[in-house]
Amino acid sequence: MRVLLLFLILALAAPAPAQVRYPEVRPGVLLRFPADHGAHPAFRIEWWYVTGWLTGEDGRERGFQVTFFRTRPGVGEANPSALAPRQILFAHAGLSDPAVGRLLHDQRAARAGLGLAGARVGDLDVAVRDWRLRLLPGNRMVATITAREFALDLAFRPTQPILLQGKRGYSQKGPRPDQASYYYSVPQLAVSGAVEQGGRRVGVTGRAWLDREWSSTLLARAAAGWDWAGLNMDDGAALTAFRVRDRSGRSIWAGGSFRHRDGQLTELGPDDVRFAALRRWRSPRTGGIYPIEQLITVRLPDGLRRYPLRPLFADQELDGRVLGLPVYWEGAVRTVGGRGYLELTGYAGNLRL
Amino acid sequence: MDRLAGAGATLAFRWLLWGEWRRHPGRVVLGVLAIAVGVALGFAVHLINGSALASFDRAVRGVNGSADLQVRAASRLGMPDAAYPRAAVVGGVVDASPVVELPAFVRGERLTLLGLDVFRAGAVTPSLVGVPAEGQEAAVFAEDAVFLSRGTQAALGARAGEEIVLAANGRTARLRVAGAMPGVDDDRRLAAMDVAAAQLRFGRLGRLDRVDLKLAANADPGQVRAALTAALPSGATLSSADAAAESGDALSRAYRVNLSMLAMVALLTGGFLVYSAQELSVARRLRSFALLRTLGLPRRGIIAQVAVEGLALGMIGAVLGLAGGYGLALLALRLLGGDLGGGYFQAAAPVPVFAPGAALFFLALGITAALGGSILPARAAARAAPAVALKNAGDVIDPRSPAPWRLALLLFVGGAWAAFLPAIGGLPLFGYLSIALLLAGGIALMPWLARALLDPLSRRSIRVPAVDLAVRRLRGAPGQAAVALCGIVASTALMIAMATMVASFRGAVDDWLGQVLVADLYLRLEGGGSLDPAAQAQLAAAPGVARIDFGRQSPVLLDPARPPVTLIVRPISPAAAQGTLPLLTPVAPAPLGAIAVWVSEPAARLYDLEPGEPLALPLGGRGARFVVAAVWRDYARQHGSIVIDGADYDRLTGDLGRDEAAVLLRPDASRVAAREALLARLLPELRTTAAMAEPQQLRRLALTLFDRSFAVTYVLEAVAILVGLAGVAATVSAQTVARAREFGMLRHIGMGRRSVLLMLGNEGALLGLVGGVAGVLLGLVLARVLISVVNPQSFNWTMATLVPWGLLAGVVVALVAAAAGTAVLAGRRATAQDALLSVREDW
Amino acid sequence: MTAPSDTSPLLRVSGLAKSVGSGRLLFAELSFALAPGELVAITGESGVGKSTLLNVIAGLDRPDRGEVIVETTELGALNEAALTRLRRDRIGFVFQAFHILPYLTLRQNVALPLALAGGERRTIEARAGALLGEVGLGDRGDSYGADLSGGELQRVAIARALVHDPALILADEPTGNLDPETAERVLALFARSVRGRDAAALIVTHSSAVAAVADRTLHLTCAGLRAA
Repeated sequence: MRVLLLFLILALAAPAPAQVRYPEVRPGVLLRFPADHGAHPAFRIEWWYVTGWLTGEDGRERGFQVTFFRTRPGVGEANPSALAPRQILFAHAGLSDPAVGRLLHDQRAARAGLGLAGARVGDLDVAVRDWRLRLLPGNRMVATITAREFALDLAFRPTQPILLQGKRGYSQKGPRPDQASYYYSVPQLAVSGAVEQGGRRVGVTGRAWLDREWSSTLLARAAAGWDWAGLNMDDGAALTAFRVRDRSGRSIWAGGSFRHRDGQLTELGPDDVRFAALRRWRSPRTGGIYPIEQLITVRLPDGLRRYPLRPLFADQELDGRVLGLPVYWEGAVRTVGGRGYLELTGYAGNLRL
Repeated sequence: MDRLAGAGATLAFRWLLWGEWRRHPGRVVLGVLAIAVGVALGFAVHLINGSALASFDRAVRGVNGSADLQVRAASRLGMPDAAYPRAAVVGGVVDASPVVELPAFVRGERLTLLGLDVFRAGAVTPSLVGVPAEGQEAAVFAEDAVFLSRGTQAALGARAGEEIVLAANGRTARLRVAGAMPGVDDDRRLAAMDVAAAQLRFGRLGRLDRVDLKLAANADPGQVRAALTAALPSGATLSSADAAAESGDALSRAYRVNLSMLAMVALLTGGFLVYSAQELSVARRLRSFALLRTLGLPRRGIIAQVAVEGLALGMIGAVLGLAGGYGLALLALRLLGGDLGGGYFQAAAPVPVFAPGAALFFLALGITAALGGSILPARAAARAAPAVALKNAGDVIDPRSPAPWRLALLLFVGGAWAAFLPAIGGLPLFGYLSIALLLAGGIALMPWLARALLDPLSRRSIRVPAVDLAVRRLRGAPGQAAVALCGIVASTALMIAMATMVASFRGAVDDWLGQVLVADLYLRLEGGGSLDPAAQAQLAAAPGVARIDFGRQSPVLLDPARPPVTLIVRPISPAAAQGTLPLLTPVAPAPLGAIAVWVSEPAARLYDLEPGEPLALPLGGRGARFVVAAVWRDYARQHGSIVIDGADYDRLTGDLGRDEAAVLLRPDASRVAAREALLARLLPELRTTAAMAEPQQLRRLALTLFDRSFAVTYVLEAVAILVGLAGVAATVSAQTVARAREFGMLRHIGMGRRSVLLMLGNEGALLGLVGGVAGVLLGLVLARVLISVVNPQSFNWTMATLVPWGLLAGVVVALVAAAAGTAVLAGRRATAQDALLSVREDW
Repeated sequence: MTAPSDTSPLLRVSGLAKSVGSGRLLFAELSFALAPGELVAITGESGVGKSTLLNVIAGLDRPDRGEVIVETTELGALNEAALTRLRRDRIGFVFQAFHILPYLTLRQNVALPLALAGGERRTIEARAGALLGEVGLGDRGDSYGADLSGGELQRVAIARALVHDPALILADEPTGNLDPETAERVLALFARSVRGRDAAALIVTHSSAVAAVADRTLHLTCAGLRAA
């Protein structure tokens, strides 16, 4: 559950033009692969979100994030122009290098069409100009990203089956059943490739996580922000946990899943997930105060399990204000016996929904 | 070392300077004024040009949003969408922004509509991106949302949320004001909307007008250009903001250079005035200087004293001139606009920006002119032997000394040589050099000419002593006459030259209009409206119409660094061309498969085209071949125009629409009825934008515009001639006053006061005549250079010479009258003194 | 410049020859000397070169042969600038036509040689005022030339010739433009002023009145000088 502001404005805040009807997300729809890796252009929003930890030949650990968003703003659908903004794509990439001490990030945006940007239906292939994420034959996913301060050239190989979140892919995001999305993840992706920084190319290997969601209505009106974490456990298990907060910081909704290394999947409901702040960090840039160390408590069939999260480093804040994008924290975190990513939105006070 | 000329003698200098100025305040004022007027005109013209150019440059960059490089459609038909992805993937291009750019009308106001992709524009031309107003955030992509620059908002009085009806490319659309364009300058009138919506609403589907490019910081522009050129579809050309600004500069550069030159002429005349005033004052003070030399003032001291006088004159004059120039620029911009009525710039009247560099330049120029005008005579004075000068009463006049002519001849030869050299960078710099050399030569020849003109008179014995004396004196002292005349000869010659050029031009334009405006009625659709074949047929069938020719004019870019040429679509055939266009060359037969086009004289000169030669036109894809059929005369489009037959154009472009028509009526048809019939047959929405005119109206309008654009030329000329006349008056009166003793002597030996005055009047008249004749002769020579060299080189058209004889006669008469009048007036003063006293008086 | 002793002449001319442009010889082998306090008149017919002789002595014209020594300085050895300085510092001039600059006050006219030498305004104006007092025009310092009669103008000119204490005063027909009575008064003043300063004066004249005040009169003819 990860979104950018402009994207949100386009996709959600704008009242949908009357003549545009978006499909609803309903439980009981069977997801098929590889077709559902591809785009679902009828839905209002959709994303491909890859996060993970890399270990370089130079011995350094880095976190990375590669995200592609697709939205259907409901504009220009009757316009035969090749430039009509029927589908809009955003991409976002970040690199957390403790040697730098802050998040390196860059973005791309474009309307789909004319071969310059697009999200293919029926197969995973999304591109915004020179950035691209696609599935190659042999079930290998590759990402090529050339950002201002770094470049990523990564290949991802699944080591586990696809993880359908919620009820077989139907994931409720609010108290109402229509506040939901189709949601699946692929945890424990084996990563290989290279990171380029300052003209220097470093071979890397690591573990990553793919999140896929598409929906037309997502959040409750009262939502002010959310916390999300996806953790690849060293023993092969995978934990997903999220909560939606209201303005006072209380949870409106929560959920997630835990897949045991033996493959047994436990769906987590609103009462099964608790987030508690252990340490807060104040951004010198934006003044936002983020709970960058958290204790996630989940109720599993064998009892409560606690996952304390510690960031790779504190300043993994993403300040996109100059480009009209939101301020949020998206960082590589460690936990006992595992590593993953934590996303914190709505803490810098300017996330208008 | 002798330090006399240094600080030690400043006291003596001060005494001498103040003494001289107290005695002749009029001369000081005149000198100061002469320099001030010259500097003021020069500075004002510079400021006006600079301000106009700056506002034009801002306009260009305002619309272009300072993209590194642009792909532009070569004609109004636009280029295919495909140009955008092709340009976007070229190596070295970081980002590319597709743009629809159309002239548009809202509520009767003209503005430029930009269709933008906000993502691309945000990266390439962020200043053009609209920002949604409060509550309009969703409008970024909305098909009916439009963002207005502050200038547009002010002009329309439209606020966010309001609806406006925007007309462009012959379509109208109802749009909602969604916000502002805060990155755009206040004086720019822009509106921005989504590129796809603009394509849909204004009939541009599949077409773009430009693609703005952002290049990588380390990209080699030359390589990127080469790669782009190879990748682009036909109908697209490359251009940078600099090139666009350059073409704007080229737009009026020749005109501005002409104005600057006129201002320089005024300054030059001012310099001459100071020269003649100082020359005179030095001549008068020759004995003063001799005394000072005897008393121990070194030679340099005299030069220094006169130079200091000139410096002071120049400084005061130049400072006054700068202030005056700024005021003049302010006034001119307010009254006439940035192009001084030349019609080159559409933007709102700019405010002059004080230019310190230029101010210093003109300050220096004014001081230099004054200094130069002073040092030359001072050097001559310092060379005179003091003992001789002390004894001699007044000027040394020896009628037998030959009048110099070698220098003049040299200058004339140089001037003639420069006239045959080509333009530099589109500017007739050698032409101006030629004019300067010829002018200098003419002035250097003045003593010789004065003698040559007076010789026949002096050989004849004249009964009236007043006339005889006058002739002999002028003939004997041609140098003095030359001093009195150099300013007026310079300004008269230049004025005659300009007047002859303008008269020739006007005459040529008048003739040309007669050849071009042959129809009975002209119809034109404003605001991008268009007549499709059905509408054309409707109009052709209107009662009273014998024949109707439909046409269309649109800009076509042949060279990105030049302003576009005008493509004129109209029916024309090689057989009937002579009757359709004022041809300058015979018609060259077009080879099989090539399309004949008819190139105007400026286009032929600018793009180096001759009949029978091929020409690349961005029409109809790469396959089409064009050949120049003939060159025709066009005074309306300075940047060139190309006529193509309507049928060829239709075939090449599929654009069957027309927006102009020339109507021939049946002999028995009434014009009023035909007008009404034609109007009634137009679609209702076109009726309001249709303008109809008869040839007489158009002709009147054209000539009015012509006169307006030359109005400033006339003003500058008049100023130059007034300054020159003031110079003659001052010089003549000074010379007359200086000769008081001579008159005293003449009266002693029995010449009556009236006779002395008559003699002076004759002298003045002769002086004026010599100056006038010399000025006119020189002016006609200069006019030849202007018409045959400067004009073709800066405006790229030729014309026949037409001499305004009436004006020439008038100028000569005015000069004779002014010189005679001032001489008599000064003579009254000089002869009013007691005759005895004037004989006895020292100086 | 060192002060000359009483015995050494202020001006010594020896073997001087000068011809005019056409080759006509004006004078040749002219030799004479002027002692301090001595007034010498030079007479002769028009065209024998009296004025030229004065110009040569003043360094305004160069002789063909011979030398002119003012005090201890030989003029032939001097360049243009040094001659200018010599005139400014050591020689005073009185002209027939007065040459009082009409646009300067009388005081400024008198002070001009000092001003040209770079003197300080107050000092030199005081000095000029004193000289004007000496020639009897002490109250006219702020007047202009136009207000004065010919005799008065020549008195101003004498004051200007003496204001910088020259060793040698050269006068060219100083009374030529004056009536006899005025001429006599002006001459007396001139002689008194020159003698009182131990300067020497050379006066070119036609006038017998001048010759009468002079200590010696030299007559210039085509043949040379002879004592009158």
